[in-house]
Amino acid sequence: MKRVVHLGVTLMLVGLVASVCLGLTYSITRDKIAEQKKLEEAKACVEAMPGINKPEELKEDKELEKKVREHIPDVEKVFTCDRGYIIILKVKGYGGPIRMAVGIGKDGEAKGISIISHNETPGLGANVEKEEFLGQFIGKAISDPLEVGEDIQAITGATITSKAATKEVKEALEAFEEIEQAQ
Amino acid sequence: MDDGTTLWDEFKKGVITENALLKLMVGLCSALAVSNRVENGVFMGVAATFVLVCSNVLISLIRKHIPDQIRIPIYIVIIASFVTIVDLVMKAYVPAVYERLGVWIPLIVVNCMILARAEGYASKNKVAYAAVDGLGIGVGYTLVLLVMGFVRELLGTGKILLFDRTIVSLGSFNPPLIFVMFPGAFLVFGLMIALLNRYETRKKQ
Repeated sequence: MKRVVHLGVTLMLVGLVASVCLGLTYSITRDKIAEQKKLEEAKACVEAMPGINKPEELKEDKELEKKVREHIPDVEKVFTCDRGYIIILKVKGYGGPIRMAVGIGKDGEAKGISIISHNETPGLGANVEKEEFLGQFIGKAISDPLEVGEDIQAITGATITSKAATKEVKEALEAFEEIEQAQ
Repeated sequence: MDDGTTLWDEFKKGVITENALLKLMVGLCSALAVSNRVENGVFMGVAATFVLVCSNVLISLIRKHIPDQIRIPIYIVIIASFVTIVDLVMKAYVPAVYERLGVWIPLIVVNCMILARAEGYASKNKVAYAAVDGLGIGVGYTLVLLVMGFVRELLGTGKILLFDRTIVSLGSFNPPLIFVMFPGAFLVFGLMIALLNRYETRKKQ
């Protein structure tokens, strides 16, 4: 019995010390992590909307986010600015989630796309970041088919990535429709 | 250790004669996966080295107070804590690399290379030796990842990128993609083992 208590107490102590250390690390890095995430997003948003130069020109609209997410769960965030909307989405690609910001003008056309993060295969799916691929989406609207093989040319050797990215843009345009209807 | 081994011997042992990847062949899964880029390989190596050294030192320090029956859970808690620290720090300061390494950073917890050092070495040796052992194994691991990453990235993509800057470029060379994919990992890894073995047999003769 004494042995069991001794073992239990030892393990508990180890766990306790470990949790305290982790708690400390977390509290030190927490703000920095949040800041990095914001910075990354802000950079992508600015890239996704031509004519916008500073992140300060954008405003996150939490209520719109909630409303849109009811129908399109892949939507993460919605930013508004005087030129339209920027929608951040996350869709599963080949090697992990692909997060992107899609800028949609007031006329309902995609104005720009910027990949925030992805984990696609270097040399294949990672080409999703390239202008050659993303440029195809500019000017697309909800009335376009947005299908790989039809109006969108896939990245060589990366069909899954191409399809995921295309789906993402399509969902952003659908989200725009939702927003328009809601207002 | 009291059998006359110096700290330098211990270090060399980890880098060459008992190289975790090329000789002991432990921790291969993550090594093959992250060695597709120099940057990924180096950060993974540094992260693993940090965990190795810290857990080795701590386990060696408290080795006389750890009851035998529950030593493995204690090692795991210690290793997992250091991995979580690395995980959070990388997330905060090198988010781009962190994003790419993805699940492999938290998976350092179950990397048998680290538990093997804790159980097989740190729990039986003095602190200084345990630290050097961890450092040696870690440096050996990092070096292999560095070389593999270099060969795979250079041949597979035609250039080496470090923090979004091109360091080396092969120019208009059309890169065989296979090197950055999984088969490339096996090819390069196999060749490295062969080369090391050849070097060692030559040395013996």
